[in-house]
Amino acid sequence: MFGRLIKDKSVRESIASASVVGLNLVSATFVGLFIGWWLDKWLDTKPWLLLTFLILGIVAGFKNVMVEVKKIQKADESEHEGQGGDDEKS
Amino acid sequence: MAGGLPHPVLLVDEAAKAVGLYKLNDVFHAQVIDSNVIYAWFAMILLIILGMLATRKLAMVPSGFQNFFEVVVGGLESFVVENIGEKGRKVFPFLCALFLFIITGNLIGLVPGLDSPTNNVNTNAAMALTVFVYYNFWGIRMWGAGYIKHFMGPFWWLVPLMLPIEIISHLARPLSLTLRLFGNVRGEEIVLVLLFALAPVVGTFPMYFLFSLADCIQAFVFFMLAMIYLKGSLEHAH
Repeated sequence: MFGRLIKDKSVRESIASASVVGLNLVSATFVGLFIGWWLDKWLDTKPWLLLTFLILGIVAGFKNVMVEVKKIQKADESEHEGQGGDDEKS
Repeated sequence: MAGGLPHPVLLVDEAAKAVGLYKLNDVFHAQVIDSNVIYAWFAMILLIILGMLATRKLAMVPSGFQNFFEVVVGGLESFVVENIGEKGRKVFPFLCALFLFIITGNLIGLVPGLDSPTNNVNTNAAMALTVFVYYNFWGIRMWGAGYIKHFMGPFWWLVPLMLPIEIISHLARPLSLTLRLFGNVRGEEIVLVLLFALAPVVGTFPMYFLFSLADCIQAFVFFMLAMIYLKGSLEHAH
């Protein structure tokens, strides 16, 4: 497995992009929560902005994950197409 | 490999103490220069020395260090140009410096007696914020006021919803970059210290292979994400 990991560039890249997905979801949620909390403290509108921005943060996190997974899927498909092309050639 | 746990002797800390860089502050009873900064300097010195060794005798047919650096830098450059396009050559020096520094910082943590500069949130946050400022700088430089279009999503009627979402997801980038690198490197070092306490050498030796690989992957992830963010700001908004 390690040999393949070191040699095969596409395996390395897909591991790198897959390891990105999880934390993006969490960090966007936390940033939304923090912005909401800070704005609430500043504008004195207790729970409303916090809730709004928390939901926006969660949506942003899911959007990040969607974009990331779409990218991985696209790379996967193009790789399969590339392999198919090679087979046809040989 | 200290990982914040009580540790025996750290060579560079001792050297810095001997030189007088590393004394206790009278007011706060804290050290004046944190050990992560000292180790970041150590990684910088290591890279500068290696760079000087590599470029001292430049030859058309490379050998030794020059060969090694040509493979590394050339591979990274072709990767960047493959992904961003020719515009990537302008931002490549930044990305390459980032990769080399992080990989050195991660790997010196595996040497007994040394510590990683990247096992501290401050080093990672500094690098992640630099990436954040840098890609926004390039976006504004390339597109001027039109850079706002990158935050507006595909449809005009979605703008009030997409603008805050995009801003939040852009602000989340430095946070996730920081925490990913910090968590991985710090976690590795804590595991190494605990395994060393359980079964010296026998327990830690196999983990070195896994962790040196994981260190390289983390450096590559940071580099790749910085590249993807720069690509996003250099490209036209879709």
